[in-house]
Amino acid sequence: MIFPAADIIAEAPRPTPLFSAAASTSDANVWTSINGWSVARVMTSIESEYAVAKAGAVVADLGPIARYAVRGEDAAAFLARVTTVPAQRLDPGDSARGLILDDRGGVIDLAEVSRLSSDLFLLTTPTAHARRMKIAARGMAAIADDITEQVAVLGVFGPEASEALSAAGLKMPGDVVAASGMVRGVETAARPIQFGALPGVELIFPKEEALTVWGRLLRRGKVTPIGLDALEILRLESGAPRPGVDFIAADRARPGGARTPYELGLAHLAPLDSGGFNGRRGLRRFALEPRRQLITLSIDDEVSMPGAAVFAQDKAVGRITSCAWSPAIKRVVAFADISASCTAADYEIAVSGPADVRVAARVFETAESALALDFQRSQSGATDFRL
Amino acid sequence: MTAKPAEVQSAGRIEGGIDAIVIGASADGLAAAAYLGKAGLRTLLLEESAEIGGPVRARDIAPGITGIDGEHLLRILDPDVINELDLYRFGVKYAARRLDTVYYFDDGETLQLDGDLQHAADLMLDDDTRDQFGAFMGDALELSAFLRPAFAPLRSVSDENATKQALDKALGQASPEISALISRYALASIEDVLNAKFEDGPVKTLLTSEAAFLSGAAPHEAFSFMSFLRSLAGEMAGLQGALSYPEGGAVSIINALRRAVQAAKVEIRAAARVKSILIEWDRAAGVVLENGGQVRAPIIVNALDAQRAFLDMIGPDIIDIEFQRMLTAPRSHLASARVQITLKGAATNDATKENPGRRLVYAPPPEDVRRAFIDARAGRVPQNLIVEAIFPGALDTETALDGDVLLSAVAHPLPFDEAPDRRRRNEISAVILAMLEKIAPDIGDQVDIVDLRLPCDLARATGASSAAYAAKPAMMQQWALANISTSASDIGGVYFCGPEAQIGAGLSCTAGKNAAKAALREFKKRGGAL
Repeated sequence: MIFPAADIIAEAPRPTPLFSAAASTSDANVWTSINGWSVARVMTSIESEYAVAKAGAVVADLGPIARYAVRGEDAAAFLARVTTVPAQRLDPGDSARGLILDDRGGVIDLAEVSRLSSDLFLLTTPTAHARRMKIAARGMAAIADDITEQVAVLGVFGPEASEALSAAGLKMPGDVVAASGMVRGVETAARPIQFGALPGVELIFPKEEALTVWGRLLRRGKVTPIGLDALEILRLESGAPRPGVDFIAADRARPGGARTPYELGLAHLAPLDSGGFNGRRGLRRFALEPRRQLITLSIDDEVSMPGAAVFAQDKAVGRITSCAWSPAIKRVVAFADISASCTAADYEIAVSGPADVRVAARVFETAESALALDFQRSQSGATDFRL
Repeated sequence: MTAKPAEVQSAGRIEGGIDAIVIGASADGLAAAAYLGKAGLRTLLLEESAEIGGPVRARDIAPGITGIDGEHLLRILDPDVINELDLYRFGVKYAARRLDTVYYFDDGETLQLDGDLQHAADLMLDDDTRDQFGAFMGDALELSAFLRPAFAPLRSVSDENATKQALDKALGQASPEISALISRYALASIEDVLNAKFEDGPVKTLLTSEAAFLSGAAPHEAFSFMSFLRSLAGEMAGLQGALSYPEGGAVSIINALRRAVQAAKVEIRAAARVKSILIEWDRAAGVVLENGGQVRAPIIVNALDAQRAFLDMIGPDIIDIEFQRMLTAPRSHLASARVQITLKGAATNDATKENPGRRLVYAPPPEDVRRAFIDARAGRVPQNLIVEAIFPGALDTETALDGDVLLSAVAHPLPFDEAPDRRRRNEISAVILAMLEKIAPDIGDQVDIVDLRLPCDLARATGASSAAYAAKPAMMQQWALANISTSASDIGGVYFCGPEAQIGAGLSCTAGKNAAKAALREFKKRGGAL
């Protein structure tokens, strides 16, 4: 799950249940605000946290991300309406990624749905959508309870995440299925997650148990706390767009500023034949006319430059929306919002400064873009009889 | 009459071979059915009650006395509908083509205005005020005529861009004078406009009342001047801004529409309640009737109120979330009341004796109108109301009553109540009667029966949600609601022409015409033979 953009004008962010634990282990003491909650940007150093995430196991406080427990006879139908996840097809233990779209098919947010039991689902979204949930539930036998403030959530990622959890005595009944139950006397829900290419597990438990679980993981699981800045590199490497940074939510965007899943390279998360999700009719009308596209680039440079102009064949075609230095590929990885008509593989990026200097960049394949490409190939021979 | 009992027709079985189904035989539903049938589509009109006409229907209000619910005057009936459906041939006749209005003021003074608003210069006023009034009404009439295309939903399922382009083109062609008027008046409140134009006096008072009458926007609120322009944009009997009374009352328009429907070979099925609309692959596929039968058709035109049309008949799992939010958003907290009063004998006072064939309006002082809106919004019955009254028997000899005189009045603004109790009704009736005393002093002594109809009564009679008959909200909200409801959540083959699709108060039929035309365009586009 991806963090949304930081709240740059938040005045007094609230502490998450894990705040004091995270603060006590943070050497850097650099914080930001996400959804009104305090989040550590750096714990020790970006480089070391990134390295541990790639080779060992890291733990992150995921408390600021919005969570809903969805119950009721129509819970699956409700989720299949609110998100693009065909929740009726999920068996207990299954999880799926999707999107939240507006009526015209513009992307409002990312979403993850896990089915914990026959009539209980967990919905996770980077930003909160309380009003939308309330409206969407009218006329349906479903209740979406916002549990964000009632729970503590941590994510354990990395190739050794499973071992770390076992060592801490927190191994779940299954490594690949979402489940809820009592673990060492603590009511816990767990579900598998991916952060970029990193496998991991998300643990959700009552906030009163936050310090106990965090302490046990660090003491016995030997995991390293990771901050938002290192996670940002992992996100960019995986090709996951960040709400509020790489795109503006369709319900907040100015006219013409909303983006469809096709424009964000996330068409595979909203297949038009997958169900009755909100915005499918709008998407069907507008999907064939993309105006922009969000692509991932690797840039021959060492500094980040969000907002920099992107050129193709000497013509400005867009701008960088987010970027970071990737120790793995030794280059800057970036998202760029460019014109949909541009199909070049090579680009140039303007470097800030008085001189007109540009550096080379090329399209960079990520795990997400590979999924989008596979989806596009699978759809190329299909016919939509409903058009 | 081709109406057949629904249970015989379709109980428990599936019917096909129908091109279009119209749900609800209101004026808009009838107009839509007539357009579709006339274009050659095999059309079925389903009405859940035994009567057609929606809220407009004749009803016995006392033994031997028939009143007509719904509109009592026509102000915005679409001239295209009259011409294209040939309603004159089907029986529409005007008992009064353009009613003169007599305004009664708080100080006992009166002022008569010609039904042809261009004749403002004939008013009994001093020269300066008369010239100002004439110039003002000239500007207002010109602007409202220019904006007429804008007083309709801009969005339709099949031709959204074309409609917008047409409007853009029209606005783009505005002359410098019209452009100046638009920029001066479009966002303005009626209060600001009148304060800038007129000194305190009868002209300002009557215009305030006219602008606020039947509107959900108070005179001091932005865009309230637009409500006034909307009321002037109508064209009755070829005269812009005029008010007409048809022979037999508004129900005669329904009867003419019914004849047009029958002439178009539309099958009318009464007592056929639609339970749900069948949606398959995001397109309309037909309807499921309450009796279990199904009627399949690729076009559904729904003339019921939006809540029933979309939330009840299509369901939240099909419609879009923002669309649902718009449909369920709070609307106007204001209402108008229709009251029909039988009098023991003809009115005896001079003012009413001299003006029985005219429209009589009590215009309270502007500050009282403002106060009335505040009170009504707060849920209180205002002590001053704008009241419009006519004597149908004097206008139309067909409705003349022996021994009694029927007075029909509309009062505005009142609080919107979902279910007013007897006490509340009595309170409203008492205030309206007190206002009528301003028009006809001592009328209270002559009152025999008072028949009060509030929005909830119309809703109960037609099965609609009460909010459908609340006062129209401010113009911007009307536009938004009309645009979103006529988009029908982008469900293919579903067209909407219920009360929410109409901009402006009064019997119009424009929504029915637009829905049918959009359906015909789509039908043709999809290869249907016309």
